[in-house]
This record gives sequence, structure tokens and C-alpha cells, in this order.
Amino acid sequence: MAILEIKNLHVSVKDKEILKGVDLVADSSETIALLGPNGNGKSTLLQTIMGNPNYVVTQGQIIFDGKDITSLEVDERSKLGLFLGMQYPSEVPGVNNSDFLKASLNAHQNRRVPLAIFYSVMNKAYARTEIPFEMANRNLNEGFSGGEKKKNEILQMLVLNPKIAMLDEIDSGLDVDAIQTVSKVIKEEQEKGKGFLIVSHYARLYDLINVDRAIVLVNGKIATEGDRSLIEKIDKEGYEWLKKELGVEIEKERQVVLGTCATKEALKAK
Amino acid sequence: MKNEIILNNEIKELEIDDISDLEIKLDNFSSLDLKILNLLPEKNVSFHASVGEGCKLNIIFADFSKGNVSINSLVDINGENSFCSWSLATLSSNNDKKVYDVSFIHHIGHSESIMDNYGVARDESNLVFKGINYIKKGSKGSKTNQIAKIIVFDKSSSGVASPILKIDENDVNAAHSAVVGQLNENHMFYLMSRGLSKEKAKELITLGYLQPISKHFSPDAQERIEKAIMEAM
Repeated sequence: MAILEIKNLHVSVKDKEILKGVDLVADSSETIALLGPNGNGKSTLLQTIMGNPNYVVTQGQIIFDGKDITSLEVDERSKLGLFLGMQYPSEVPGVNNSDFLKASLNAHQNRRVPLAIFYSVMNKAYARTEIPFEMANRNLNEGFSGGEKKKNEILQMLVLNPKIAMLDEIDSGLDVDAIQTVSKVIKEEQEKGKGFLIVSHYARLYDLINVDRAIVLVNGKIATEGDRSLIEKIDKEGYEWLKKELGVEIEKERQVVLGTCATKEALKAK
Repeated sequence: MKNEIILNNEIKELEIDDISDLEIKLDNFSSLDLKILNLLPEKNVSFHASVGEGCKLNIIFADFSKGNVSINSLVDINGENSFCSWSLATLSSNNDKKVYDVSFIHHIGHSESIMDNYGVARDESNLVFKGINYIKKGSKGSKTNQIAKIIVFDKSSSGVASPILKIDENDVNAAHSAVVGQLNENHMFYLMSRGLSKEKAKELITLGYLQPISKHFSPDAQERIEKAIMEAM
């Protein structure tokens, strides 16, 4: 079992501090729902764990599988067994989906994976995500719909088979059928013993999968933690009760419009 | 000595790798698809084409040579209802200086020209796209479009994209765009987050950017293009 341990993590984007001391321990046998109002650092946390160079760790540590990965290269983190399903997957012109998957799998296995094995891995992943196999020959996310991009993230997760998968709003852009498909895959992977850190604004996805813990991130810190009932409460009541019950006030400057995120706000302020 | 291609009411498709002092003359509804694969270093060449009525000239230029290159291309559009296109993909590396001076002159109306220049500059190399799409007075109803894009890979490599539109007629449709930029860091992060090393990610992005030109070539040339790109990296 792999453990992801985050200690007193402070993260800045362009000199604006977004995470202000996050402590979290997650292991590869559990699924954590990461909640919180927009612009409070959920995506920042996931991007930082994956090693996006735009996110600067000013204090604290990230330890995965016994190894300090705080300043490790992005590709090394991936090879250790971390995965990030992006909120906005890039469209990479001219890069063929299957060439890309093959290069990723080769990098992970540190060898030239025989074609027969590669195709069998691909075939299974395409079938499970219900993406037509012809799409393997398209360019990476180029011209994909929002839902196709998100399913393609899940497909990559299946090909790379990480120990802990972080999924950032994987359900946004998915239609009803696609949410069923994606949640079915997540559930199967949970049963196989994969850990998840899942950000979503909707209870719907969480209802369809197992959730062991729910964590609420406010003002760049963990405000509270609970079980599944916390998701229901937030789904019904929003975040206003945090102030009344826990004395946590959502900072004014962080009350940003729906659909923005802390990083974008920080970049705008620059 | 001049190398000549003269077509009169003919349709031709050619794949060549030597363009030294090439003279092209198309007349009377001729059509030429000219595919040029340049893999030889130290090229300093110019070529010229004149395009007559109802003719079509497509030039596909893949330049993956090592060393300095200076290419001078001029197309005179002399006939109505003619169409000319130029597509270039090039890669400069080491200390190469590669300069492409590509121009179209519309001497007459109802003609169209399209220019696409794509390049990657690596190491300490220098890549320059220049040239003029010129629509002369009286060339009513002409269309022209220029695109120049350079990815500057390394800190010490440089690129200049300065295509010029010169328009002396009002009744035309003209557009151009020029971009010189670094590798998209979001793309790099995305590929690396799937385990690809920085080098491998750069390689895939470069191939993705330059290789699309190879679809115009024969299978044999396609192989040589891929090999040349891989070697340069």
C-alpha cells in the first residue's frame, strides 16, 4: 500500500499564497472527496502534488511511498504511481493519441513494451471507457468534446494504472451516460485497490462511487473532515454553515465567481 | 544552368530534392504539385515561378537539412483564376542559420495565394521567415493569406517571422499572422504528467508540429523525413 503524506504545505502561484499549510494523509486503499468553494485551492493542491512548475512550494513537504517528492520532476512522480486527471486537458496538436499512450507506457515500464501487449492494454482501456477505438488515431484531445476529453483522461489512467489517482472535476462536461461509465470504471478500480483523491462540485458522482472520507478546503487550509454525510450536507446547504458551526469564514477576496479558480484569480491580480 | 519545368495545359506531380536555380512556368490551365525534400546542407538557392491563367501551383517544402540554408522563392501570378500555395516545415539546430524569403506577386486579379511557414529553432540556431505577398493595383478580387509560426526551443535559439502584405488594390481579401513563441508549458506538463521525460515530450511535440507535412510525400520520402527529424533531435 502506498501512502501520500502532505505536511504543512504552503504553495504560491506568482507570489500569491494559495495553500496556507495543508496537512493530509491519503493511502492507496481509500477514496477521499475533496470539497470546498471555488477558488480555495483544491486544484492547486492536486497540481502541486503532480509537480506543475507553476505552483511553487514555499514550505512543507510531499511524501509518496516513503520518498520525498517535493522537488521531484513531474515524469518521475508519474512513474512512482501518481496520476492527475486534469480539469482542462490540453489539446496537443499533431501528437497522435496512440503514439502518446505508447510512449507513456514505455516510460512507465522502462522498456519498449511489445506491440501485442500494448494493443491489449489499449483495447481493454478503450472498451471500459466506451470510447470508440478509432479515436486512438486522432491527435491528443484535438477537437474532442468536453466529455471526450474527460473520458480520455480516465482511459490514460487505466493504461498507466497508478497507485493513487487524482481526478479534478472529472465529471464536468460528461453527459448522464458518460458519468455512469466513468463512475463504473472508478468503482471497479476502487475494488482492485486503487486510491483516489476526487474533486467535484456535485454529489452525483460521489453517490455513484465509494467515498471513505470527505475533506473541505477553505482559504487554503483544511477546514473540516468527515464521512460521506459531509457531502450531503454541502450539497443541501452549501458552505455558509462553516461559519456558524466551525467559525470558518470564507475570505471575501476568495468569494469568486463560479467557474474560476484560485490560480486564475492570482494570475489576474498580477 | 537553369533547371526548367514548363507545363502547358498539363497536370503534373513531382517529388524532387534539388531545387537549384529552378524555373517553373505554368500556362493554360496547368496544374503542378511540387514536393521538395531538402536534406542537403549549405543550400543557397533561389527559384522562380510564373503562373498563367487558370493554373494551379502547390509547393510543399520540407527542409530538414543540417547547416545553413538560404532560400529565395518568387512566384509571379500572371493569369486570372489561378491558385498558388506554399507550405514549409523546417527545423534548425546547432549553429544553423536558415533564411526563407518567400514572395508572391499578384499582377492580375481573381487570383489566390496561400503561404504557410512552420518552423522549430533548436540549440543556438536562427530561423528567419520573410517575404512579401504583394497585390498590385488593379488586381481586383485577389486573395492572399500568410501564416508564419516558429517555436523557439532553447534559450539560445532565435526566430524571426516577418511576413509582409503589400496591398495596392482595395477590392481584395488579405490576412496574415505571425507567431514566434516558446514551447507551450501546459503541453509539456501534460505529457510529462504521464511519465514522459522532458526530452521525449519535446520530441513528440516537435514531431507533431513538423511531421504533418510528410503526408504529402511518398512513403520513401516520409521515412527519410522522420529519420531526419529524429536525427536532428
